[in-house]
Amino acid sequence: MYVKAAADKKGNLVPLMRKWVLILISLTFVGVFILVPLAAVFFEALKKGIELYFLSLTEPDAWSAIKLTLTIAAISVPLNTLFGVIAAWGIAKFEFKGKNILITLIDIPFAVSPVIAGLVFVLLFGSQGLLGPFLEAHNVKIIFAIPGIVLATIFVTFPFVVRELLPIMEEQGTEEEQAALTLGAGGWQIFWRVTLPNIKWGLLYGVILCNARAMGEFGAVSVVSGHIRGLTNTLPLHVEILYNEYNFTAAFASASLLALLALFTLLLKSIVEWKSIKKRH
Amino acid sequence: MSISINSVSKAFGLYPAVNNVSLTIPKGDFAALLGPSGSGKTTLLRLIAGLENPNQGRILFNGIDYTDKSVKERKVGFVFQQYALFKHMTIFENVAFGLKVRPRKSRPSKQQIHEKVFELLKLVQLENTAARYPAQLSGGQRQRIALARALAVEPEVLLLDEPFGALDAKVRQELRLWLRELHQKLNITTVFVTHDQEEALEMADTIVVMNHGQIEQIGSPEKVYNDPANSFVYSFLGRVNEFRGDSIPQELRLNEETAGYIRPHEIVLSRTALDTSSPSEVIHVHTVGSAVRVELKRLDTDDILEAELSTEKYRQIGPLIKGEMLYADFSRMVIFDDDRPNQAKVSNKIVTAL
Repeated sequence: MYVKAAADKKGNLVPLMRKWVLILISLTFVGVFILVPLAAVFFEALKKGIELYFLSLTEPDAWSAIKLTLTIAAISVPLNTLFGVIAAWGIAKFEFKGKNILITLIDIPFAVSPVIAGLVFVLLFGSQGLLGPFLEAHNVKIIFAIPGIVLATIFVTFPFVVRELLPIMEEQGTEEEQAALTLGAGGWQIFWRVTLPNIKWGLLYGVILCNARAMGEFGAVSVVSGHIRGLTNTLPLHVEILYNEYNFTAAFASASLLALLALFTLLLKSIVEWKSIKKRH
Repeated sequence: MSISINSVSKAFGLYPAVNNVSLTIPKGDFAALLGPSGSGKTTLLRLIAGLENPNQGRILFNGIDYTDKSVKERKVGFVFQQYALFKHMTIFENVAFGLKVRPRKSRPSKQQIHEKVFELLKLVQLENTAARYPAQLSGGQRQRIALARALAVEPEVLLLDEPFGALDAKVRQELRLWLRELHQKLNITTVFVTHDQEEALEMADTIVVMNHGQIEQIGSPEKVYNDPANSFVYSFLGRVNEFRGDSIPQELRLNEETAGYIRPHEIVLSRTALDTSSPSEVIHVHTVGSAVRVELKRLDTDDILEAELSTEKYRQIGPLIKGEMLYADFSRMVIFDDDRPNQAKVSNKIVTAL
């Protein structure tokens, strides 16, 4: 904004220079805020040698955190995918009252701070919570246990798939489905043969983002998990605990796993994007 | 299969798209639903297909009530305006779709499907496109594939929604003839929707003229063109000049509201005055194919109007130039006494649009 104004004041500033100034600013910004920290994570993790790096990842508590993180993602991502497809299908292909309210509700996890999301579950299912006595009486443990972490993760990653699919489905309209209908196809046949192939790239994209967030979520999970080592500690929580204990190498080793996941996700995302663009032409 | 529509109504919210429509289309007929946009013609077509459910009335196929039957049970072939081909499937897979989704018991073998698809591709003259994707075809080719796909399920009724709407004029002309021939060959009861009166007049055996969700007239092209039921049909089926008040000969005028209509080619132009003709000034002359259109200003009433002459007649009368004086005879003007007031308004609009 500032650069633009300065250029306009001078009036005859060469556009080429403006271009390079803008590119330089962006590069500096990306460098300082993204590349340097990312490099620092790997640098700190590997500072004391590769042996210690692997040791801190295979140590039982770290290993259990990794397994838990994978488990949580394996439960919440498919559920949100299923829900996302159903909701996007319903919203995009049918007209009904309260449609806009539903769309707004789906966006709530994006708008609300994850910590508050976690807190809501504690207030609902915690021992002091609304349903607490009932759950305790039936010996069901949700808060400070895996079900709570799954719930919090599902809540936080709820909108990714729907949000990704909605515009695609709305753009495609319902004509192909109607055509399939007139050709004698049933509901499932239409979904598998017509709708799903048309949305598959968008769906994959949404699933990738949903998965990245499910594995990386800290705030909501932190509130409901109870940080029980080897039991309810996910990878992001594990990083925090290690860091607070001044166990920097181990903390950064675990953090590097999350960073690698992020890089891998970005790579997948780019491939999917590239494929879906190619498909369209 | 014959189609009977008995007092069918369909509203979207408060908007009545189709309002108490009754219509019978005999077996093997080639019928056009013709009307301006918003006249309910596409809704009526979708009601026949079962893609919409009527609020009222019954729809019968061969005399059997099909109103509550699903789209699947109706066995209609439907061609969508934008073709709605499956983008991610090859042309072969598109055409084969209707056969492949059949329940196992009635599903043809792979070999049979292959034969059937190529038979249909041959019929639409596009055998060489089987391995391609819809995006690789031209609009006219996609249109024909959409038709082949609809025919694959051997429908007894073929429904087409603005089949040529998205095509350029030349392709449209070719496809019209082709579709007409195809209908003659297959003899499937066919209903198509169009807003183009020329298309309807050229192709259909029966024309159903629609306006405001209602049928204005049903008849052969000759019937609706030469003997229109009211001013709307008259105006919609061709170019028209509309006159009001003093511009209408005294003996035709029923009341203040009466409107008189005359088609451009029915105005007789001459260089000499007759007792019934009015002096008119030439404003503009242009040639359209085998006809010459002359824009005139009637000097006695100041109406602007359009006359049309054959090139032969134009040659007899001699070249016309702007500002020249002619005598125009309006004795073939017609009036409609059954006009509802809202219709007069509609016709008015159409005339000013000319």
